[in-house]
Amino acid sequence: MSIEHTHGHEHDSHAAHDDHHDHKPTGFLNRWLYTTNHKDIGTLYLVFALLMFFTGGAMAMVIRAELFMPGLQLVEPDFFNQMTTMHALIMVFGAVMPAWVGFANWMIPMMIGAPDMALPRMNNWSFWILPFAFAMLLSTLLMDSGGPAAGWTLYPPLSLQGGQSFAFVVFAVHMMGISSIMGSINVIATILNMRAPGMTLLKMPLFVWTWLITAFLLIAVMPVLAGAVTMLLTDHFFGTSFFNAAGGGDPVMFQHIFWFFGHPEVYIMILPAFGVVSEILPTFSRKPLFGYTAMVYATASIAFLSFIVWAHHMFTVGMPLTGELYFMYATMLIAVPTGVKVFNWVSTMWQGSMTFETPMLFAIGFVVLFTIGGLSGLMLAITAADLQYHDTYFVVAHFHYVLVPGSVFALMAGAYYWLPKWTGHMYSEKWGKIHFWISAISVNILFFPQHYLGLAGMPRRIPDYSTQFADFNMISSIGGFIFGVSQLIFVGVIVHCVYKSRQVAAGRVWEGAKGLEWILPSPPPYHSFNTPPVIDSSTVAHAGEAH
Amino acid sequence: MEQGGRDEIAARRSRAVKTAWVLALVAALIFITFILSGVLNS
Repeated sequence: MSIEHTHGHEHDSHAAHDDHHDHKPTGFLNRWLYTTNHKDIGTLYLVFALLMFFTGGAMAMVIRAELFMPGLQLVEPDFFNQMTTMHALIMVFGAVMPAWVGFANWMIPMMIGAPDMALPRMNNWSFWILPFAFAMLLSTLLMDSGGPAAGWTLYPPLSLQGGQSFAFVVFAVHMMGISSIMGSINVIATILNMRAPGMTLLKMPLFVWTWLITAFLLIAVMPVLAGAVTMLLTDHFFGTSFFNAAGGGDPVMFQHIFWFFGHPEVYIMILPAFGVVSEILPTFSRKPLFGYTAMVYATASIAFLSFIVWAHHMFTVGMPLTGELYFMYATMLIAVPTGVKVFNWVSTMWQGSMTFETPMLFAIGFVVLFTIGGLSGLMLAITAADLQYHDTYFVVAHFHYVLVPGSVFALMAGAYYWLPKWTGHMYSEKWGKIHFWISAISVNILFFPQHYLGLAGMPRRIPDYSTQFADFNMISSIGGFIFGVSQLIFVGVIVHCVYKSRQVAAGRVWEGAKGLEWILPSPPPYHSFNTPPVIDSSTVAHAGEAH
Repeated sequence: MEQGGRDEIAARRSRAVKTAWVLALVAALIFITFILSGVLNS
């Protein structure tokens, strides 16, 4: 058992911080609207992401309810398309990305020994743009022309056939992009300038490393998306023909530009997950991370490769054979650094004194199920095979394995791992484990049958289907309903932990945990590390590495 | 906290602001380049 129950406010001798400066602003507006505190902004991001997770999840429930049986059951086909489009936009830009920014805000300053983020006012602005962006995006569902219905990829010419609400969608995407870019600038500026003395780059925790690389990816690709949707906007409303073939434009060019953004975007959602899992596995294996330096280089390699593989999303569009071969082999190359990571995670656990608290269960679930998503990705990389799989449910199964038991499970793992640190109270281990097991079983019932549906030829983004697909769709929908409802357990665990739990958490919540965040008390003071902490092997996991 | 510590943090924040401007410039350049490449090719 790794939980220390006895001392609620353990101060390590290295944790010299000024508690007399620990003044929270009073009043709701002062505390939350005007806040420049990294922990408060982190909490705002996480709460917002959870709200969006349930909003996007409700849309997924509509989709699975419609697909429960063949035939049109509940919604009009156009509304169904709006649901698939909005579900993706909200989950990608409203749930997963803001959740990782929330983790970055909470943890990066504490992990590198900084008092706060480098640019606190911009931090506030980065967050408060988001509620307005998503209010604008969601408001399109109430407009005459309805919400966007061309898929989250917004491919022309279909997306250009939407109504006036398209302008709201484009502006919402712009605002999300600005928020992401400002958040990334803050992360990079913080990591490069605010590290405690002695915290060299190769002593940083893996979560900080993965976020540093993610932030560079964001700065490189979000302006590309902004450029693409701006050109869509002018095509739609101002008579230009960037992507309009009738006016001499090229709709395929949009696909190239979109996926030049879109493929790194996949890694933007998964690299911080790699970081969190690389923190959790060593803690509950009571061993240092195997191959720390290799993990850093593997992360950087994955980020680099993510820029040169985009056209594997569009093999069917027609491209020269040499192009197909190049994108096929380049995509397969990503399996090498990803394989290094999976090997190192397994080696970290090998012969460790493992215990299976909820964060560890979610982290192991991540390693196993993300790998399934990775392997189906390799199948999709094979050009000849992709010509069959393209736009089928096989693709839907693949990216949901990467994003749900991948990215979302890592978010859950991180939330359970640091919740006692954030709140000062232990969550209910029993309910955490119940949440994990129901989620892990139902997520497979939900997504695994979709592989078979895709291989049998069921296209994605359709509200009706041939009766031959009925059984697997019904199984998938049942899994979806169980998974959706089981996430309410997560909310219950958090609410109980924050408001009801009487089990006080120690500063070092988990006995195997190493890192600067654990030398602070739980909850940490409002301003962490006003005085830089001492970096040595007793406080930092990789302080002993020879660099 | 000592004055020296505050000065050190203020110097770091100043460097951070410069880093931020450089990164913002890079982002703006990428955006403008993509738009211009579209305009010039049309």
